[in-house]
Amino acid sequence: MARIRVPQPSLGWLRAQTAGRLLTPVLFAAAILVAWEAIIRLFKVPMYILPPPSAILVQFVMKFPLIWQYTLVTGQETLVGFGFAILFGVPMGLLVAISPFLRRTFYPLAVTLEMVPKIVFAPVFISWWGLGFAPKIYVVVLVCFFPIMLNGILAFTSLSLDLRRFCLSTGAGPLRTFFKVQLPAALPQLFVGIKAAAVNATVGATIAEWIGSDAGLGFYIQQAVGQYRMDIAFAIIFMLAALGLFVFWLVNLAEHLLIPWHISHRIPTGLG
Amino acid sequence: MTESVSIRGAEKTYQSKHGPVPALGPLDLEIEPGRFVSLVGPSGCGKSTLLLMIAGLLERSLGDISVAGLPVNRPLTNVGIVFQGNVLVDWRDVLGNIMLQIEMRGLKRQDYTQRAHELIASVGLTPFTHRHPHELSGGMQQRTAFCRALIHDPPLILMDEPLGALDAMTREQLRGDLEALWLAKRKTVIFVTHSIEEAVQLSDEVVVISPRPGKIVRRVEVDLPRPRTLAVRQSAEFQELVGDIKQIFLGYGVL
Repeated sequence: MARIRVPQPSLGWLRAQTAGRLLTPVLFAAAILVAWEAIIRLFKVPMYILPPPSAILVQFVMKFPLIWQYTLVTGQETLVGFGFAILFGVPMGLLVAISPFLRRTFYPLAVTLEMVPKIVFAPVFISWWGLGFAPKIYVVVLVCFFPIMLNGILAFTSLSLDLRRFCLSTGAGPLRTFFKVQLPAALPQLFVGIKAAAVNATVGATIAEWIGSDAGLGFYIQQAVGQYRMDIAFAIIFMLAALGLFVFWLVNLAEHLLIPWHISHRIPTGLG
Repeated sequence: MTESVSIRGAEKTYQSKHGPVPALGPLDLEIEPGRFVSLVGPSGCGKSTLLLMIAGLLERSLGDISVAGLPVNRPLTNVGIVFQGNVLVDWRDVLGNIMLQIEMRGLKRQDYTQRAHELIASVGLTPFTHRHPHELSGGMQQRTAFCRALIHDPPLILMDEPLGALDAMTREQLRGDLEALWLAKRKTVIFVTHSIEEAVQLSDEVVVISPRPGKIVRRVEVDLPRPRTLAVRQSAEFQELVGDIKQIFLGYGVL
C-alpha cells in the first residue's frame, strides 16, 4: 500500500532554534562592545572620560582579587538585608491584610514612607551606627521592605469572593484555609513584590557603601572615580550588573520551585 | 441521605445611599428531600441571593430558612456548592482540586481517592486527571467543579448558574452529565439558572421568580420521564412547559 511521506521536522531543527534564542542576545551584546571599542579608538576619547571595553577587561582581571573581595561584602549586605526584608515584609503584609486596625494605622504610615526616597536614611543610619556592616543591612531592609509588604497586602486580600465562600462551606478553620488556599493563592503576587525588592537590594547596598564605608563595591567605585580611574569604575559596574543578575536569578529560581503552576504558562522572558 | 429545605418569609433588603432596596421576597418555599428544583428568573431577581442565603453565606434580612429541620444561622457545611465563578485553584490538578474539598474538611484522602476517580470517569475526565486548570477547557473546569461539589457525598447540592459561562454546545453536554450524576444519587438539588429550557430539562420542579424584588410567581411540576433524552425534549409536553414559563416572563416584559 502506498503511503504518503510527510516530512517531519527533525530534532536538529528544534535544537537550532533554541541555540538561536541564546545566540541572538549574546551576538547583540558583542556587537555593542565592538562598536564601543571602535568609537573610543576612532575619536580618541580620553581614558578618564570613557575607557574602551578592552581596558575595562584588563582592569577587571588585574584588580579581580580586590573586586571579588568587595563583591562578597556587597553581596552579603544585599542578600542578608533582602532576606530580612522578606522575613518582615510578608508577615507584616499578612497582618495588615487581616487586621482592620493595622489597616487604619500602619497602612497609611507605610504608604507615606513609601513615598520618601528611602536612601536618604543611609547617612542617618551611618551617623547612628557607624561605617560597618549593620547600617548597610538596615538600608537594604528599608528599601526592600515596602514593595514586599505592600504587594503582600494585595496578595492576601485578593482572594475571590466565591473561593472564600467555598472555604466557608467546607467548615475549615482559619489556619487550614490559610495554608491550603490563601497562602498558595497569594504566592504570585508576593513574588511581584519580592522581584521589585530584588532590584532595590543591590542599589540600597551600593549607595549605602558610597555614603559611608570602608569596604564593598560602592566604596571602591567612589575611590576609583575620585582618582579618575574610569576603567576600574566600569569594571566594578560590570561586576555590580552580575551581582544584580545573580540576585534576580535566585528569586526566579525560588519562583520556579514554589509556583511552577504559575510560571508554566508564562511567556519566557529570557531571564531565569 | 438527603435533606429537605424550608424557607418561610425570607427577605433580603440592601442598604443604599437612597435608602433600603428590596432585593428579594418575602417568599416561602418547601423543598422535599431528593428533589431537583430549579429557580428560574431574570437577571437581578435575587435567585442567586436566595441560594447564598440557603447556604448560610449571606445574611437574610427577615424570615427563616432551615435545612433538614435545623435553622441556617452560619455557613452550611453538609452541602456541596457549585459557584457561578470558577473556583478551581491554579496550583492543583483535577484530582487535587476535587480532593481540596476532602482536605479542607479534615477527612482522610485515601478514603475518597477511589470515589474521586469514579467521579472523574463519570464526567469523562480520566485522561485529564493530572492536568491543571489552565490546561482545561471551560467545560472541563466546570465538570471538575461538579466533582468537587459531590466528592464528600453531601445530602444537599446548591448550584448557582453553573453552566452560565459556557458555550451552547458545551452547556448541552453538561446538562446531560449533570442529570446522570443526579440520577445516580438523587440528592436534593437547588439549581439556579436563567435558561428556561435548562430548568425544564433538569428539574422535578421549576420555581419561577419575578423580576426584582424576586417573588415566587409559579411552581411548575415537570413530570417527564428521565433521562430527558432528545426525544423527551422534543415532545409536546416539554415544549408546552417551556412555553408556559416563557409566557409568564412575557407578562413581566422581560422576554
